[in-house]
Amino acid sequence: MSLRLSTAPHIRSPKTTTRLMLNVLLALLPSAAAGVWYFGTRALMLLCVSTASAVVAEYLWQKLGRLPVRVGDLSAAVTGLILGLILPPTATWWMAVVGSVFAIIIVKQLFGGIGDNFLNPAMAARAVLLASWPARMTAYVTASRFGVDAVSTATPLARGAEGSYSYLELLLGNVPGTIGETCKLAILAGLLLLLLTRTVTWRIPVIMLGSTAFFSWILGFDPLYAVLSGGVLFAAAFMANDYATSPMSSRAQVVYAAGIGLITVVIRNYGSYPEGVTYAVLFMNILTPLLDRFMPHKIYGHQKVKEAKKA
Amino acid sequence: MSEEKKRLGKVFLNGVITENPTFRLVLGTCPTLAVTTCALNGLGMGAAATFVLIGSNAAISMLRKFIPDQVRIPAFIVIICTFVTMVQLLMQAYLPDLYESLGIFIPLIVVNCIILARAEAFASKNGVLASVFDGLGMGVGFTLALTLIGMIRELIGSGCLFGMQVMSASYEPMLLFVMASGGFLTFGILLGLFNLVVRRIEDRRRREAARQ
Amino acid sequence: MKATFKRGVHLNYGSKEPTKHLHTRDFVSDTVQLIMSMHIGAPSEPCVKKGDLVKLGQVIGTPVGFLGIPVHASVSGEVVAVERIPYLMEEPVMAVTIRNDFLDEWTELHPLGSVESVDPAKIVPAIREAGICGMGGASFPTHVKLSLKSEQKCEMIIVNGAECETHLTCDHRLMLESPGRVVDGLRAAMRALNVKKGVIAIEDNKPDAIESMRCAANGRDGVSVRVLKTKYPQGGEKQLIEAVAKRQVPVKKLPIDVGVIVLNVGTCAAIADAVIDGKPLISRITTVTGCVRSPANLRLRIGTIAEDVIGACGGFSDTPGKIAFGGGMTGLCLPNIYMPMAKSTNGIVVYNEKDARSVEEGPCIRCGHCVAVCPIGLNPYQMKVAADADKLDMAEKLHVTDCILCGCCSYECPSRRWLTASFKIVKQKLAQRAKGGTAK
Repeated sequence: MSLRLSTAPHIRSPKTTTRLMLNVLLALLPSAAAGVWYFGTRALMLLCVSTASAVVAEYLWQKLGRLPVRVGDLSAAVTGLILGLILPPTATWWMAVVGSVFAIIIVKQLFGGIGDNFLNPAMAARAVLLASWPARMTAYVTASRFGVDAVSTATPLARGAEGSYSYLELLLGNVPGTIGETCKLAILAGLLLLLLTRTVTWRIPVIMLGSTAFFSWILGFDPLYAVLSGGVLFAAAFMANDYATSPMSSRAQVVYAAGIGLITVVIRNYGSYPEGVTYAVLFMNILTPLLDRFMPHKIYGHQKVKEAKKA
Repeated sequence: MSEEKKRLGKVFLNGVITENPTFRLVLGTCPTLAVTTCALNGLGMGAAATFVLIGSNAAISMLRKFIPDQVRIPAFIVIICTFVTMVQLLMQAYLPDLYESLGIFIPLIVVNCIILARAEAFASKNGVLASVFDGLGMGVGFTLALTLIGMIRELIGSGCLFGMQVMSASYEPMLLFVMASGGFLTFGILLGLFNLVVRRIEDRRRREAARQ
Repeated sequence: MKATFKRGVHLNYGSKEPTKHLHTRDFVSDTVQLIMSMHIGAPSEPCVKKGDLVKLGQVIGTPVGFLGIPVHASVSGEVVAVERIPYLMEEPVMAVTIRNDFLDEWTELHPLGSVESVDPAKIVPAIREAGICGMGGASFPTHVKLSLKSEQKCEMIIVNGAECETHLTCDHRLMLESPGRVVDGLRAAMRALNVKKGVIAIEDNKPDAIESMRCAANGRDGVSVRVLKTKYPQGGEKQLIEAVAKRQVPVKKLPIDVGVIVLNVGTCAAIADAVIDGKPLISRITTVTGCVRSPANLRLRIGTIAEDVIGACGGFSDTPGKIAFGGGMTGLCLPNIYMPMAKSTNGIVVYNEKDARSVEEGPCIRCGHCVAVCPIGLNPYQMKVAADADKLDMAEKLHVTDCILCGCCSYECPSRRWLTASFKIVKQKLAQRAKGGTAK
């Protein structure tokens, strides 16, 4: 009888990387379904193209670069699907491809692959698309299911649009916006799933939304409208708490999430872009290593020593 | 004589490939990133820098025995300034369009690290002919790099090459590439590729040398 | 409000189910093998030779040095071997093998009487003579814990009944079956050090044990029960002190430096046996579970061979892949099934081949789960980078020496990285370097 020798622990949590990514994919499904429901087959096509091209890009990169192929961990699929969900329904298929390839190759793989990217790949790809084809990326239409098709309308975020949509409309997603960002109810369902499966913790999403509402209120805007409009909720649920690019210590997470809220509100109301959450998340992504470095967890037993030295 | 020719050729190639100022030494990145929004700008900038490099290398090499060590940097700068001013005036007179689009980056050639670095590292220690070839090599390396970056950015960012429309009319240019961030991206990726290729070649050479 | 510490992990305690409702059984085997270094500190010196006849409780190993404790015969019978044997992952150790004659004839005992009447000065020496060391796993000699320097003052003795490990239910059963012994042991220790406060800390997933201990503590001055949140590693000494006493043990200090002593429930019961009955530590409750036919809590004589124990539980129920002394999070693997259990062996867990299969390390995805669970507040993912690159200085700067090897980070890691294993090696290397001056 041969016995295996190993160091403790002998048991492992059932949460594997693949399992966690699968949870995220499942949590994204309600938003994807809502997007397809509101914006029709074009949205479905965009979601499929972005997801497929992200997976193919990762596979080819790893295969051609003679790296271990890790497409099976589903992280590329998550990135691709998230990217699809933050495209406007009028986007073209090649925009989805360019965005996915950029996210996977430039943002993720060039920096070392899973875990080593310093920006959220989907968010960075969205910024790239926004900079490259600004007109196409902001050509929002009202949901085709409920009226006029393909006519550009003011998004709920356009200057002076505050109050032009009811809270209920915003919650249900019957407003112009990107494929996945409009239906807040679906996003909340996804977030709930992530929290219940302990895939993410409450800290970043809740504090980010709270900070968005708080700073909007301070600056004299409607806090609830600020949270329910635009991409804040989607980013809070699926992008700001991206593992690799958000801080790890709880104190740093608080600062990180609050910072995203503040920058979003400032860009929205005083910047030249109608939506600021993209740049807010990217900016705080870059600050993440610093935050982790300067605000680590207090180490057990080191506090007393300092006090004793002072005394 | 052929020995001498070989040496000069080596000095020239050194500037173009082995010590390419943009991709290997990573010098003068400010104009590299700023002016390469189109291929023509890159070419113009490269040509101007090449002229200054050859001129200043030659002058500094000639004067290298007379310039006191303690004040060599101010002396180099004065020499470089002379050539930059010449380029500036010539461009203004004969290529006003290019002069307009390069703008402040022409006078800024004075403080371009490549030129000062070559003066310090090569011209002040070598003969006139070798220095001229070094300036030429470095200049050509710089020009090629800038033109390449400019071509890529122009092609993707506006669908043109040297100002001529080459992509079909339905092509929607990716504006990112004519912005600063696109410059960084192109530069970074080319830098990586160039180094990858050069390292592969060097490795192979070393392996062959080891076998012999 | 239930007491707890910061961070930690929530484990699945399903593995406790098979044994937690079973009454403890006695099991005595034909032979026992008593190793001489069951405690931390210098190994004891064997004082019997092959062929000697020994009585139950007779000293067969004399203590060596300040940390030394004696080893007693756990069965009566004939000494059949005194030899060096390989043990777990350490150096070979001296061991005395005794063949049981099943007479269980006790050697002469010296009881000190009831807890109320005993002379406090005699308690700690009696504990040493009884050969008691920490029975929760660390096996630190108890008499040393209870010997205070003049400047030290103990305010509180915490009895560790958390049993936060998976699989193990021996402390749980002890608290249900002999709560009085545990309280008596605690009171003896309190009396020895003139401590006014004794706290029995139990996790809230054992309501029956809480009830049982409350009853036993009722009317005993200064003894109380504290309910803890169920979270791993609640029963870690440092975490327990943080949870119950609301203070942290400073780096490189002992719990006594913040006025606290922590004793395991098993240790307390052993103290009661030693003081009231004068009996040395010759048996303990051990949980035998995993893939054995009938998992059980057994009262085993110290030195019982794992093979015999598993036989007593009906043998393997599946092909064994791994056997460990201790629970799922901190257990030590056995190289073969002929290893004898020691005073601190609280469980023998058999894993089947599927569970024993070592997992392949994936790349770190920077999910931060390890940081979120580390009860010490370390950055395991960075420490792992340092450990893999063998950068000892960097690892030390990241406070790898503060790591308590609880296993939380390895348990949580979705990429299945061997974090705790690396830290154990790095800690050993650092300790070696400190010992050998500037070696390497």
